[in-house]
Amino acid sequence: VSSAIANPAGIRIKGIYAHLDCLLTGIERLKREGITGFQVLSPIPRHEILDAMYEGRPSPVRWWTLAGGVTGITLGFLVTSLTSIQWEMINPGGKPNVALPPYAVIMFEATILFGAVFTLLGLIVHCGLPGWWLDGALQDPRVTDDKFGIVFLRANTKDEKRIMDLLRNTGAVEVTRGDDTLYEVPNA
Amino acid sequence: VEGTIEANRPSSYGAANRDIIRVLLRPTWGWTVLFLISALCVAWGGYCWYNQLIWGLGIAAYNPPVMWGIYIVTFVFWVGIGHAGTLISAILFLVRSRWRTGVYRASEAMTVFAVMTALLFPVLHLGRAWQVYWFFPYPNQRYLWMNFKSPLMWDVFAISTYFTFSAVFFFVGLVPDLAIVRDHSTGLVKKLYGLLSFGWHGTNKQWHNYMGAYGFFAALAAPLVLSVHSVVSWDFAMAVTAGWHSTILPPYFVAGAIFSGCAMVITLLLPMTYAYGWKDYVNMWHFDNLAKMCLLTSGLLTYAYGVEYFVGWYSQNPFEWGIFYWRATGEYAWAFWTMVICNCVIPLVWYHPAWRTNPYILFVVSIFINIGMWFERFNIVISSLAHNFDPATWTYYMPSPTEWGIMLGSFGWFGFWFTLFLQTLPAVAIAEIKEMVAPPVKGALEAK
Repeated sequence: VSSAIANPAGIRIKGIYAHLDCLLTGIERLKREGITGFQVLSPIPRHEILDAMYEGRPSPVRWWTLAGGVTGITLGFLVTSLTSIQWEMINPGGKPNVALPPYAVIMFEATILFGAVFTLLGLIVHCGLPGWWLDGALQDPRVTDDKFGIVFLRANTKDEKRIMDLLRNTGAVEVTRGDDTLYEVPNA
Repeated sequence: VEGTIEANRPSSYGAANRDIIRVLLRPTWGWTVLFLISALCVAWGGYCWYNQLIWGLGIAAYNPPVMWGIYIVTFVFWVGIGHAGTLISAILFLVRSRWRTGVYRASEAMTVFAVMTALLFPVLHLGRAWQVYWFFPYPNQRYLWMNFKSPLMWDVFAISTYFTFSAVFFFVGLVPDLAIVRDHSTGLVKKLYGLLSFGWHGTNKQWHNYMGAYGFFAALAAPLVLSVHSVVSWDFAMAVTAGWHSTILPPYFVAGAIFSGCAMVITLLLPMTYAYGWKDYVNMWHFDNLAKMCLLTSGLLTYAYGVEYFVGWYSQNPFEWGIFYWRATGEYAWAFWTMVICNCVIPLVWYHPAWRTNPYILFVVSIFINIGMWFERFNIVISSLAHNFDPATWTYYMPSPTEWGIMLGSFGWFGFWFTLFLQTLPAVAIAEIKEMVAPPVKGALEAK
């Protein structure tokens, strides 16, 4: 598949960096020149990269955790209380039918359980997992080893030269365009 | 306070990848022997369970009033072992303790497998294992729901939540490392790890949300880890049985669980480190800190043991004082003193820094702690039941060969999964270890 078909709105450009400081300079220069729409590849979650890309904006996953916790505590209360009310003729332990102290344990466990499951769902949704179908330019095995990368999946063709020059000038050890951005593992 | 012994670090990101991955899918003789021994123990335990299913619980040595035997003792033991992993991975993450990095993956795996082992015991203890689904709420025509006011039901929810949570936390932590293994493999292995790694490629979007989620997982785990063994302790403390009915049990159980879990981490990780030559990743810095955790919790336990006796004596309750006096002097005194020596006396050798950093002493003391913590649960469960309120019912319980066989099988079951883990998944968290390595820089940025 040619890059023109795969990316009708623009062209792929990828710069591979061997050094973190060069990558950060590349990100800063791109932002300063008003060029957006790029992704960064990194072997580890360096806070400098995340700060440069998100400027302190927190992940939306936190709302999933909150929703899970609220769902859990509500379900914990409803399951314990409604089942007890349904069976009110038999009252083991002699406590009130809806007895909050013993039910608090179940409500607490349900809060944690649903909080964790919802957080997992949020992680899957916002990370775009499973990422088996990510664009090939983002699937570079050198990144899980020791390299960093800046990837444009749909760069504006009129910016192509400017971006490639900027990546080279900030220390990218390899700059590729179009289908050349798809890296093949040597001898695989 | 972090240890005086400095952490070693791998030389580069690439070196960390290669050092950890090189042991995967390459079984050594030592590994094969351990794996086969574990598998044999599982087979023997399975045979004993088969006999129990055929002949019924009468084949165990249960005899009124001792209707909780070593299945419950071993259940509590394995839940306790499962505590250290989440403590190390979550609570130490929240307090930004650097020494967790080398040991947390194997500790988490230990947690998951220990809870998997613990979960077997309520089923074994049931006798009629096919009715295990009665534990869980499900709609039925009889309108027959379980009693949510019972601590046993709290325990079902606590342990199943803890298992689900630990498994999710363990797997989420593994994903970036599975991607590393995928990118260093070929053929079918690459496809398999590609599937397991969920297509992780280290994009900024993935890392940003991953770090956000990981923090929340850790924040949820912290209260969970403290609650689980508290809930287990309520299985006992909520009953009006002398020796059990005490408010000190939750903190006492949590301290004991952390104590036994950290000791088990030492038992498992010391041989692993030496066998795989991973001294750059797990070394005396980590073991020294684990030993200090054990010392702290050993002190807490010793205090709790003392407080139990003081309260028994000071309350002037004849049943309470009677059981505590009998534990130390009666027919189960051997179990009591084994517990005291292993949990309160032997760990004291670790107050000497040289003995805390000697691998042989570390290993031997950690084994004694594991033995002592099993006897602690034996002491709590068996002695209180065997010496109940009515002297006419007093008895002496000693486990039957079937019970010992099933207990041996549980150790085999745990060993089976742990050895399998060592060969198939990165036992040290590669992506996090890389965070301790100075990043490759050309000069414009100071490495942080």
